[in-house]
Amino acid sequence: MSRPADLVQGTLDLLILKLLALEPLNGWAIGLRLKQLSSDVLQVSEGSLYPALHKLEQEGWITAEWKQTENNRRAKFYSLTRLGRRQLEREAAAWTRLSQAISLVVRMREA
Amino acid sequence: MRFEHWPYVVRLRLRSLLRRGRVERELDEELRDHLERQVEANVAQGMRPDEARRQAQLAMGGLEQRKEECRDTRRVSRLENLLRDVRYAFTSLRRSKGFTAVAVLTLGLGIGANTAIFTVVNAVLLRPLPYRDPGALVLLKYERSTTVAPATFYDWQSASRSYASMGLAEWWTPNLTGSDRPEALRALHISPTILPMMGIAPMLGRVFHPDEAHTGQDRVVVLSYPYWKARFAADSGAVGRRIILDGESYTIVGVMPEGFDFAPFWATNTQLWVPLNLDARSDDRSGSSLRGFARLNPGVTLAQARSELTAVTARVELAHPGTSKGVTVVPLQEMVVGDVHDALVILLAAVAFVMLIACANVAHLQLMRAAAREREFAVRAALGASRSRILQQSFLESGILATAGAMLGLALAWGGVRLLVALGPAQLPRLQTITMDGTVFGVLVGSIVLAALLFGAAPARAAARADVQGALKEGSRGASESGRRGRFRSALVASEFAMAVVLLVGAGLVLRSFFALLAVDPGFDPGNLLSAQVALDGTAHIDPARRAVFFQDLVERVGALPGVESASAINHLPLNGDNWKFPFFVEGRPAPPEGQGNSALFRVVKPGYFRTMRIPMIEGRDLSPADESGAAHVVVVNQLMARRRWPGQSALGQRISVDDPARTPEWFTVVGVTKDARQGGWAEAGIEEMYFPYLPYSRGPGSEGSHPLLSFLDPTYLTLVIRTTSDPVALARSVEDVVHELDRDAPVSNVITMQQAVSAQFAGPRFYLLLLGVFAAVAVVLAAVGVYGVISYSVARRTREIGVRLALGAGRRAVFGLVVGQGMRLALIGGGIGLAGALVITRFLRTLLFGVRPTDPATFLLGTLILAVVALVACAIPARRAAGVEPATVLRSE
Repeated sequence: MSRPADLVQGTLDLLILKLLALEPLNGWAIGLRLKQLSSDVLQVSEGSLYPALHKLEQEGWITAEWKQTENNRRAKFYSLTRLGRRQLEREAAAWTRLSQAISLVVRMREA
Repeated sequence: MRFEHWPYVVRLRLRSLLRRGRVERELDEELRDHLERQVEANVAQGMRPDEARRQAQLAMGGLEQRKEECRDTRRVSRLENLLRDVRYAFTSLRRSKGFTAVAVLTLGLGIGANTAIFTVVNAVLLRPLPYRDPGALVLLKYERSTTVAPATFYDWQSASRSYASMGLAEWWTPNLTGSDRPEALRALHISPTILPMMGIAPMLGRVFHPDEAHTGQDRVVVLSYPYWKARFAADSGAVGRRIILDGESYTIVGVMPEGFDFAPFWATNTQLWVPLNLDARSDDRSGSSLRGFARLNPGVTLAQARSELTAVTARVELAHPGTSKGVTVVPLQEMVVGDVHDALVILLAAVAFVMLIACANVAHLQLMRAAAREREFAVRAALGASRSRILQQSFLESGILATAGAMLGLALAWGGVRLLVALGPAQLPRLQTITMDGTVFGVLVGSIVLAALLFGAAPARAAARADVQGALKEGSRGASESGRRGRFRSALVASEFAMAVVLLVGAGLVLRSFFALLAVDPGFDPGNLLSAQVALDGTAHIDPARRAVFFQDLVERVGALPGVESASAINHLPLNGDNWKFPFFVEGRPAPPEGQGNSALFRVVKPGYFRTMRIPMIEGRDLSPADESGAAHVVVVNQLMARRRWPGQSALGQRISVDDPARTPEWFTVVGVTKDARQGGWAEAGIEEMYFPYLPYSRGPGSEGSHPLLSFLDPTYLTLVIRTTSDPVALARSVEDVVHELDRDAPVSNVITMQQAVSAQFAGPRFYLLLLGVFAAVAVVLAAVGVYGVISYSVARRTREIGVRLALGAGRRAVFGLVVGQGMRLALIGGGIGLAGALVITRFLRTLLFGVRPTDPATFLLGTLILAVVALVACAIPARRAAGVEPATVLRSE
């Protein structure tokens, strides 16, 4: 079983929220998009993707709707809610803070 | 979660809960869709279709597990799971009926016994006295006596600052006359401060005014609730009515509420209270029939109160030497529970042991079951059950067992409390107040939670460790169990045996004491002996001259009744609680120093008492009618007193006095020596006894200046003793008729056979024997079940190994020995620890034991032996099964 590069806990949520802020997507598409956008670095296993989606839905940050897909299948499309947008802002801000802090540390010149 | 979430979230949760089918279908569809796309994608990359599907499934990592994870994100899945798990737990418990029955029974016994005993202990020991702020109530007493002289008490009252209130009480047994049914009553003279001190308001009317304790005031009385109900049919018009007590008219001014009783430790079940008048005795420094009660001021500690009273008393002692020594202050609660404290603590400990054994038993039953279900757990884990789900399942099963056990326990406790109250000895204080209450229920629930945690933890731990691959791979090959878990289980069984040994030895000691008690020779023959107390206060015969005639007539007439062999009378019947002792002096010996004098039991008897009781005369003669003339003062003493006071010579002709020889004593000549007879209690030996003749006129004119004892030689009441030729109970009616022919106002009370008095003496020991016996039996059975379970389980697991051994030529006898040895090792290790524990613990039994030491080797040996035999039998059953294994069958079945 190919394990993905472990995502920092909670980062997957942020990525999903961000993707859905761009447009409503179904699970399969979210997985593909994650891979493409991160140039295959972030390979999210379906194993963690669906539980994460369901969790976000239960939190009320995303909502789901059954729609026809381009090739005429029925699929569950997720989109961001108003609450989700706010959550995305919070998480994005937190991420920025965290990554800046870590970058600072990493770039420190060794003596 | 923020509140604006709620409407949305609630809608979602409701949807997942109520439209579960649809939600499930959608989940399935979503994941399946994903899988299909992955397969397509894989095929597009050039994989073969079956390989593409396999890879897709691998990437998903188990469809069912993913579904389960998704379900877990809906919070309601917890509730759903719980319901499903409950259903599953019931199914699973129903599948293993034997296990469930044993577990529930074990717990039920443990919880039931626990609750029943706790109810009793709670009612007797722990529950505070039913007065306002009872912690501040104390008894002012001497170290060697509970009674106080009036003048000393007044000194205390005026000199101490620690008390909010002080008061005295004195026992009184008035005769109620002036109605169709004369009655001897239980009453107290009390200071008017006493009832307000207890802080309980009267239900009707009022309590006493302070001035009602003085001469010249109207006589007033307050009734207890039970007496008001019985005598006045709970008529609220009773207040204001008059009753005649000992010939005087009293006005009823109040009725105390239901459940109120005073005093709590002595003179219990008092029927009425009247003010205590001390006007004539205010200078008395020797009187000894009053008990002093007090309420501490807020903030005053017991130690402060004690040291203040000691200081005050030291000054009193200076002013009046020899009147007041070794004074102390004791909490009222301690006075009430003091005597039974040890016994009840022992019972509580026994209960705790049984409970622990019960829990240990259920724990390893569960543990064995968990081991047997390892595969089941592994399969569930493989199918996506999370570790916490499996733990939850375990706890649920434990919880259901505990609840069922608790319900059975509650039923047993309910019956048990009734049984205990019915069997409980009368001297167990506050027994009548026992009902199951909130505290007891709390303890019950507490023990269930404890039990669930205790034995739920074991299988849960095993389940949490369940190694999916390992368990599935090992398959049905019956691997030998892991050493650690085996040791834990062995330790449980060994500790059960340890506790069972302690209980068995304890019960054995109590049993031996009981036999020792049965073997006691009371010195008299209690069979076919009737007794009845006749009191003359307030009747026409209270006049001393008439009284003597009355008693003489009474004894003669009763003696002449058909079916009566002989009759006599005594002031206080043996074994009936009255142990009145009086100081005495031996002629020709120097008077011993103050406070170290001799005293002996004091009895007043009519002629023929010894013959009627069948107490043998060792030397000399019985008292005769002539002795009642008072011409020559004579006395009969018991053998112990004769030997102790006049060693090496005959007591006959020697003289004793109850008066200090320094003054002008009245000497009583010893004319007879009788065999020692049990007096205060069945188990109490070594009491010196002196029997005086009934001396009328001794407190009449001409006896001025004589010793106070002499006034007790013509008591106003006597207890008839009647030796009958057949069932003594049948005579009770005719005896009462004889009394009422002589005086229709004289009440007859306490009509009991001597056999009943003796039985009452055995009530306590029988009660404790029964309790400890039941506990020990339950403990032994549970320990046997425990060792049986562990050994059978081990045999079942090792069937293959045993088969191999047999196939390789091991003898069946050797196999039998191997298995039995395994069990016996546990039993003996546990037993050994238990014996060591018993040596320490049985010391606390001392107050319950009679004629046997707490470390009695025979009892210890016997207890161990019984347990060893039980363990042997419990191990032999599975061992026989092991020895009967057919190697061929076992090996082929693999």
